[in-house]
Amino acid sequence: MIKVSNLSKQYVERTAVNNISFEVEPGEIVGFLGPNGAGKTTTIRMLTGYIPPTSGTASIGGHDVFSESIKARQKIGYMPENVPLYDDMRVREYLRFRAELKGLRGQEARQGVNEAIDLCGLKQIRRQMISSLSKGYRQRVGLADALVNNPELLILDEPTNGLDPNQIRRFRELIKQLGIRHTILISTHILSEVEMTCNRVIILNEGKIIANGEPNDLSRKLRSASTISIELKTSEEKVKDLIAAIAGIKKVSKEHQSGEWGYFTIRAEPGNDVRESIVNLANAQEWPLREIRTQHATLEDAFVEITQANTSDS
Amino acid sequence: MNTATIIVTIILFVIIIISMQKFLSGGTGIVILKKELKSIFYSPIAWIVMALVMLLNGFSFIAALEILRKADVDETLIGYTFSSTSFWLTYFFIFPVITMRLFSEEKKLGTIETLLTAPVQTIHLLLAKYLAALVFYFIIWLPSAVNFFLFRISSVDNANAIGSFLGAYAIILLVGIFNISIGCLASSLTKNQLVAAMACFTFCMLHFLVGFILQDLPVPESWQGFLFYFSTVKHVQIFISGLIDSRQFIYYLSFTILILSFTYNVLEYRKWKT
Repeated sequence: MIKVSNLSKQYVERTAVNNISFEVEPGEIVGFLGPNGAGKTTTIRMLTGYIPPTSGTASIGGHDVFSESIKARQKIGYMPENVPLYDDMRVREYLRFRAELKGLRGQEARQGVNEAIDLCGLKQIRRQMISSLSKGYRQRVGLADALVNNPELLILDEPTNGLDPNQIRRFRELIKQLGIRHTILISTHILSEVEMTCNRVIILNEGKIIANGEPNDLSRKLRSASTISIELKTSEEKVKDLIAAIAGIKKVSKEHQSGEWGYFTIRAEPGNDVRESIVNLANAQEWPLREIRTQHATLEDAFVEITQANTSDS
Repeated sequence: MNTATIIVTIILFVIIIISMQKFLSGGTGIVILKKELKSIFYSPIAWIVMALVMLLNGFSFIAALEILRKADVDETLIGYTFSSTSFWLTYFFIFPVITMRLFSEEKKLGTIETLLTAPVQTIHLLLAKYLAALVFYFIIWLPSAVNFFLFRISSVDNANAIGSFLGAYAIILLVGIFNISIGCLASSLTKNQLVAAMACFTFCMLHFLVGFILQDLPVPESWQGFLFYFSTVKHVQIFISGLIDSRQFIYYLSFTILILSFTYNVLEYRKWKT
């Protein structure tokens, strides 16, 4: 559905997107994840033909987004960040305008609008002025606009930005439901969202793709490079060095000391289960050990780990 | 009017008609035009502007009638109406009011992004917005035409000749076509409607004043012909006398096309900026 190869966007002062390539298959729900300023919106704007790439190509459903822009755009339902809408129109009128703009006429347009209104739950407010809508409803109108011509691909740029938790939950349900019929690309910086709705995640940082895979895979990969926390009854200084000497341990840090008990966090190398060695060491040194626990990495850890490791200045 | 100017006029009209036809068949252009006209006439601003322009036109009309009543004069009623100070004072306020929101509002709301990521060609968007403003401009002048028309049926002497009437409205529309394109350009350059309005007013006025001031300067004889092109006041006088001059058509239409092509490039600027 989406095919991006070696796409770059270079501005005078910075490189917004740096040579990225990825593909999205029909039917996938892909989360486009990254800290603010990672180049998500720039990439999306290139995909929707709003700005051209400096180099590289992107195509939607086989149509190049630049040379066959109109054809590519016909396949996309796009909801930009912050959902720009005309305040002086009514909801239904706006959707009708958008439907006609996307090439639907007469009965077809009416049907598209009605379906979008039903799907997004806009029935009660279809005659209201857009200026009087709450943020949640504006967001839904934006989504209805993206859906109105039943496009193959939905591109949603930070769709849950500014919604309250209930609205976010409802929005996610809606997106899951839409995923049955549409290919969806969601950009976000909220991880739980991706974990719950997407079947693939692409993590972007400083204009580069630094991870691309299933959400579970990404966190599993990190879990094997697991973090272990232990509590030892000792205040000796050499503890850290002794633990660090065990094979397979990357890093030991002391979190805090509370009375006689010391709390440590241990980073092990991927694929090494070091818990047994730690227990053996504690026995040998006669340090009472009252807790040893593997911390399960979430996507959030993956995200923090990956983005920070790749950020040059941290 | 020589053959060369006739040919150029015809070519210009053909270019305009071809571009319009492509625009009409494109479909999306019409959709935007309809939406623009709706948002003009559904808002109170359009009606307020129309009412105020009618008021001012009525005032110019009465002033012209006064002149005719007082003395034997050789000008027509239309001539006096469109050369009165009150007419020219108010005329250039119309353009900023009807063009300032065209693109700047879209930029401010961010809807320019939803528009241009829909399957819409930039040229269709530009033409639709331009035509919507132009249609509104035409409609603004309709009530004043009714003034003259009523006066024409009711008056005994031939105070407003038909040539004068047609000429006056031809030049009003022609100057409008040109000035609205300036308004389009100004509006496409900024997010701020006030800045757009001010820029539009300044450049429309500047164009008018250049023609107005230069025509009275002691310039060499050979320059007169050149300077004549800028002189809107003289164009209006000529057209009102009933002479529809093709040179003015070429001048205003070709400048309109030039300025609209600038506007197009401003709208496409995001595509080549780095």
